Amino acid sequence: MLTASYSRPNGDRMCESCLKHGTAGKWYLNAEEYSNEIVEKYDLRDFLMEQYLNFEQMSVRKVNGVNAVGLGYKLQMPLIGKVVKHLAENVLHSQNPPKNPLVAEGHIGQVIPLDDAIAILETCAVEPIILKNCMCRYMSRGIKEACCINFGVMSDIVDKLPRFIPDDDKYFVTRKQAVECFTKFNKRGYIGSIWYAPFPYINNLCSCANPECAGIRPRVDFGMKSIYKAEYIIETQQDNCNGCKKCVAMCQFNAITYNLTMKKVVVDREKCFGCGACTHACKDEALYLRPRDEVPQFKER
Amino acid sequence: MAKKTKIDVDHSVCGGGNKVDPRDCCKCLQICEPAIFLLHQTVGAEEEDPYDPQLWSVTALWLSLCTRCMKCVDACPEGAIRVS
Repeated sequence: MLTASYSRPNGDRMCESCLKHGTAGKWYLNAEEYSNEIVEKYDLRDFLMEQYLNFEQMSVRKVNGVNAVGLGYKLQMPLIGKVVKHLAENVLHSQNPPKNPLVAEGHIGQVIPLDDAIAILETCAVEPIILKNCMCRYMSRGIKEACCINFGVMSDIVDKLPRFIPDDDKYFVTRKQAVECFTKFNKRGYIGSIWYAPFPYINNLCSCANPECAGIRPRVDFGMKSIYKAEYIIETQQDNCNGCKKCVAMCQFNAITYNLTMKKVVVDREKCFGCGACTHACKDEALYLRPRDEVPQFKER
Repeated sequence: MAKKTKIDVDHSVCGGGNKVDPRDCCKCLQICEPAIFLLHQTVGAEEEDPYDPQLWSVTALWLSLCTRCMKCVDACPEGAIRVS
């Protein structure tokens, strides 16, 4: 529950029901949520330090007696599976003042397309902006790839944690460089996502990959709302499709298939997260992003 | 329900400050197609053990996604992975 003491300064807050039912709107374009004042107000420096020191072990740490080892099996159990899902989503979607840095409290994220990410980087993100090694790729593949863009106090945190600091890549970046880097990742097919970490402080703009991303996997494989779909969805302009299939390889959600009979691609919009990666591959304007609200049958985020 | 896959990583050989530091190897992490392994700071095998953010180990996390290809068993230079 949002309490009076925990409301936003301007009263324009993301309500609990919006979050749950996925009509959150573009919450990530609210510049106040990036501000250092929020960090001071909720005393998040020590919290973030502790959390990032231990980030990779959150899935194996038991919360309420349950950890994420074999999560798929746990969710398949009758009744217990529903309880586990409910408890896990409650932790992730928590809007209470964050208390325990060893669990992913209030770690709410949403897929965003390139244009929204550029808007964030140009107008909302608080400097200094850094590029740090992605923790998801490191914990699932042991690979360090500097494609995670962090803002504000995160540079103080990452400064003390050498495993996140890129070896040869840029570390501190200007807004312009951040936009260039994100654009490069996005055109490569990485999924843009923006995160509260923890609610109500936004400090992470990620370029994710499936199945490595710890936020996307529970949603794709287990139906858990660990990340919200974008405010957009792909629309196809079938007449323009020349059947080059380049978009198929760009989609990390297996939402695009090539139809042999029609010699065109088909998008399964149930699976589409609206990240827009496929639009970068299409040279014939056969794919474009449309606001999700305009497509009522797929309006669930 | 189909039989559950169980994957044990022998933590007395790999991780936790023992013979091999998994951060230097990562062969199982990289060979696994569905990427089910997790490289993480030790929490301690049992809850009461203290965790140590400086020591790392590997745990098979997303077990239900295992395709039982057994590539991790072959890839592990220490033979520390057992799939059942």
